[in-house]
Amino acid sequence: MRVLIAEDDPVSRRILETLLRRWGYEVTSTIDGKAAWDLLQEPDAPSLAILDIMMPGIDGLELCRRVRRSQTSMPPYIILLTANQGVREIVKGIEAGADDYLTKPYDREELRVRVQVGARIVELQMKLSERVQQLEVALDHVKQLQGILPICSYCKKIRNDLNYWQHVESYVSDHSQAEFSHGICPTCYETKVKPQLESLQISQSAAAPNS
Amino acid sequence: MKKTMISFSANNDLEHGRQVFRPAQAAAIDNDAVDMKVLNAFEELQPDDGSDLIVELIDLYLLAAAQRVTQIREASIATEWVLLTRVAHNLRGSSANLGVRKVAEICQKLEWMDRHDSPQTVAVQVGLLEYESARAGAALAAVRQGRLV
Repeated sequence: MRVLIAEDDPVSRRILETLLRRWGYEVTSTIDGKAAWDLLQEPDAPSLAILDIMMPGIDGLELCRRVRRSQTSMPPYIILLTANQGVREIVKGIEAGADDYLTKPYDREELRVRVQVGARIVELQMKLSERVQQLEVALDHVKQLQGILPICSYCKKIRNDLNYWQHVESYVSDHSQAEFSHGICPTCYETKVKPQLESLQISQSAAAPNS
Repeated sequence: MKKTMISFSANNDLEHGRQVFRPAQAAAIDNDAVDMKVLNAFEELQPDDGSDLIVELIDLYLLAAAQRVTQIREASIATEWVLLTRVAHNLRGSSANLGVRKVAEICQKLEWMDRHDSPQTVAVQVGLLEYESARAGAALAAVRQGRLV
């Protein structure tokens, strides 16, 4: 997983790089908010960002706001680094759009687990996004019958979107995943088929030569 | 001033599968200026390529700290409080990271100062910062030198 570090202090930046690489992350570093914002707008932007609040140019809070305003399909998980332990600073950070925060100087183990939580959430988001895409593709292939259908009261043909009258079975086949196998129901057998068969037998026996 | 004799020649010369070059002699470090526990904690993060992370961090710190102390001095003379606060905040962060406690403490005081504080009060703190920064610089330079021997 790729992690972005935006930190203007070279010592803090180098320590973060070392720690994250040791924990197996691919690291990209920037020294100010502007460079971080440019990177986060790229198509293959890092999915997790660790941002210092106080940076020249665009600060960490403004960077959070811009990321949240951009409404990308895969927004990065943002951890803010703040030197102030005050609640107000933390509230401001979360309100700006950060997912988590750490106060400096931070404990390495605390940083490790918080980054781990972020990575887990990013992975879940990715899986969810993939599943949504799969469902959208599947939905495109599902045909649905809905709305009011004009149907002939006598022959039961349906008027289609092109204004043609279509047999009900071909209309339903065209607008759904259903297929038809033809059969005869008992009522129709009694009322339609049986009289036809009887009539056929009568006409056959009438036509037959007397034996 | 409290001074501690810290030996870098630990029992193991082989660390993380590589040869570690330690100074043969113990170096006298100003323990009050730099918290060696904090600095030595980076030992476990040493890269495998043979480079020395601690030396690298000291180099980065010394370069950045010198510039920032100058910036703070200039900002205090020009009474540019926003700039002073930002630079002091930055120096506090990197100082705390390397265990340069006194500098970090003075930076925190400078961060809390504003236009209501008298220029003399600010000047006293800036003077203290310059003094402590020089002390920490000397201590870190000694550590660096010791590791390169």
